Amino acid sequence: MTIAGDSCWHCGEPLQAGAVIRARVAGQSRNLCCHGCRAAAEWIEQLGLADYYRLRSQPGEKPADPAAAAGIDLAPWGRPENARYVVRDLGDGHREALLLISGIRCSACVWLLERALGSLPGVVSVRVNAVSQRARIVWRDTDLQLPQLLLMISRAGYRALPLDAQGLDDVRRHESRAALKRLLVAGFGMMQAMMYATALYLGGIDSLDASTRELLRWLGLLVATPVVFYAARPFFAGALRSLRAGRLGMDVPIATAIAAVYAASLFETLRGGGEVYFDSVSMFVFFLLTGRYLEMRARHRACDLTDALARLAPTFADRCLDAGGIERVGIRELHVGDRVQVSEGGIVPADGVLLTQSCRVDEALLSGESAPVAKQRGDRLIAGSVLEGGPVQLRVERLGADTALAGIAALVMRAQAERPKLERAGERATSRFVARVLSLTAITLIGWYIVDPSRAFAAAVAVLVVSCPCAFALAVPAAITRALAALAQRGVLVVRPDALQALADCTHAVFDKTGTLTQATPTLGEVETFGGVSQTEALHIAASLARPSRHPVARAIAAAYPDRKDVELHDVMSHSGLGMSGLLGNRSLRLGRCDFAQPAGQTLPDCEDAVVLADERGPIAAFRLHERLRPDARAAIDALRAQGVAAIIASGDHQTRVADIAAQLRITDWHARLLPADKLALLADLRARGARVLAVGDGVNDAPVLAGADVAIAMAEGPELTQASSDIVLTSGRLGAIAPARALVQQTLAVVRQNQRWALYYNLAAVPLAALGLVPPWLAAIGMSLSSLGVVLNALRIGRNASQTTTTHPAAVSASVSQGAGAL
Amino acid sequence: MNTLVFMIPLSLLFLGGAVAVFFWAVDHDQFEDMESPGLLPLDDAPDREPRRE
Repeated sequence: MTIAGDSCWHCGEPLQAGAVIRARVAGQSRNLCCHGCRAAAEWIEQLGLADYYRLRSQPGEKPADPAAAAGIDLAPWGRPENARYVVRDLGDGHREALLLISGIRCSACVWLLERALGSLPGVVSVRVNAVSQRARIVWRDTDLQLPQLLLMISRAGYRALPLDAQGLDDVRRHESRAALKRLLVAGFGMMQAMMYATALYLGGIDSLDASTRELLRWLGLLVATPVVFYAARPFFAGALRSLRAGRLGMDVPIATAIAAVYAASLFETLRGGGEVYFDSVSMFVFFLLTGRYLEMRARHRACDLTDALARLAPTFADRCLDAGGIERVGIRELHVGDRVQVSEGGIVPADGVLLTQSCRVDEALLSGESAPVAKQRGDRLIAGSVLEGGPVQLRVERLGADTALAGIAALVMRAQAERPKLERAGERATSRFVARVLSLTAITLIGWYIVDPSRAFAAAVAVLVVSCPCAFALAVPAAITRALAALAQRGVLVVRPDALQALADCTHAVFDKTGTLTQATPTLGEVETFGGVSQTEALHIAASLARPSRHPVARAIAAAYPDRKDVELHDVMSHSGLGMSGLLGNRSLRLGRCDFAQPAGQTLPDCEDAVVLADERGPIAAFRLHERLRPDARAAIDALRAQGVAAIIASGDHQTRVADIAAQLRITDWHARLLPADKLALLADLRARGARVLAVGDGVNDAPVLAGADVAIAMAEGPELTQASSDIVLTSGRLGAIAPARALVQQTLAVVRQNQRWALYYNLAAVPLAALGLVPPWLAAIGMSLSSLGVVLNALRIGRNASQTTTTHPAAVSASVSQGAGAL
Repeated sequence: MNTLVFMIPLSLLFLGGAVAVFFWAVDHDQFEDMESPGLLPLDDAPDREPRRE
């Protein structure tokens, strides 16, 4: 892909006039959008890896501000208390770590990372996997420590986070290796068995002598035995498991068929006569394993991202120092009795007692109760619950693997183990179907035994094999796993699979404005002060007050005063939809909407669109913020409109600003100055009129709104928030991903219906023929394998076409870069 | 018939060899990443420093 001259050379974002930075890369002067991109480009050039720009097919990820990336977050990883959990000792002075790297967009990123890391002295091997966004690094601990590796990655413009060393990855790697080996054994076995079987079939015409036939039968037995006892073991294990659980899973008839066909052929071989079916049984196993393998691949891809997010959740905590101030520490460095601060939308890192006046927490992960629970000073907070409003402080009471792991496990369960209703219904249907097949087989066996005992076995086996419920059982999960994987690739992470149906059906899309339609971080514009306060002083106080909040406006103010020596504040509280309050000495400060911040009876003219800092005596300063529309917002709204989804803006912001944004997006239905409760009422009203509502927000400030919609989408801005209260998370931060995702989900549901119909018709046609003895077992094996393969291949169609449309919008891709960087 | 007696064990021997080679490949991460190795030949410059010992 060529990147146009008016966009950043590194990340591809459109350049802002007057803010262009120039740097020499690969012998030419290039335009760059920010210092972060310049640092990354120069660093890549300095390493002699400028070929990256030639090899890549997607623009790079916009790196964080070099000042922010300078290692503030990396230092804790050097301490053995933290490193112990993410670094594995391979012995011999070699260490291994598994990193999740965000920002890998194409194979050139893999190339760049492998080269950049490989150039560090002491690095033994680097393996970067673009699909799962992971890097496995082995190094000698005498030459190198983990923070240096992380720093190298961040300087090249990527974000790296170490993953738990004893994680699921090993389980998954083992599973996929074993499946590949089984598949190969079955494939080779099938080819050989078919060769011998062909000789036997042809020999029937050409009159092969008896000893040769005997030899061929024994050879068939020789190659089919590993297929049955090694390759087909998962089917036997699955059948046993489901029988023990008292269910009739889809493995039961499969295992019965394999065992019956193999046993009968073995008997004929030992007896030295009759028909053997070693080829059928091998082929049967091979095709089944192929279907399973494809399904497993899709599942792994979908899980790669979800479990990484889940495992990232509360890695660090903010510990309050006795001397004042806050220190960021690894969660394993906490001790019982420590005071910990949790910001709004953050995850409580350990079980503890609330020290702040009051707060609300969402304990849905642990209790299943989705309504936030109010807590007073002295109440207990549970690790893993999500804070709404805040910031709060708590005293750590219980620590250790018990609590933290419980929270993390719950997150993983929520992301993965929750099976969609659709799938559960499919499973019940499968179970009923299996019962019918087994009884039909018995009837066939008895019927033929009465009519013609010599054909009874062949016909019964044919019924069992031909009607295998795999097509039924795979119809739903194959389509859903494929859809989840295809969505994850596009930066759409489905947290609750039931949301798929709701997304496909939605008729109205309600957007929050700040941080959703506009860029997540507005920039601070003019500062107006009152009563002789200097601008710096006003900003210092406002930034200190805003620091704990995650509202984008608060973050913009906090970012405008980056020096972290904040003024000492007490009782800092966040007021949902209004602003922040706190005590400075005995002055009661407020920062937020002007009607909230000003003391009663005082009005400041023309402050409607400003953020006001005030104390009880009157306003101190007014801050005006500049917002930029996300580059793909308009295209995204238009695409949704083309699909027949009405777009609505529901914002807590001032009239004129909302009207301005709405006009730019050609949205006529917009609402300004809404409090969260008003937004909820708006949603309830829409739903009462029969609309199916999709809510899009940033996941924190509008958590209640997201919870009130049929399906909620949150723009990911940080690993903690992604778990908050949404069904779907846009990890790419791209609004443009919504409309294609909806189209893809609709396609998925269509494929599910197609698959189910196909499985039904196939069985209705094939089973009677088999029961009448018209289908030889080998043909039955082909028919059944092809039917399930057809279902899986049909599911793999999902997302094929859509992938082409996304790559043809470089602007949309670059937009994702701008926000995605902030997430991890 | 004599050829069969010779050829069949030979084919089984080959088969065993192929399975062994494939198992080795699976165990040595040869199927983990199917995309990035395709880019390696596009890099003109030879490895500046050997990465592996």
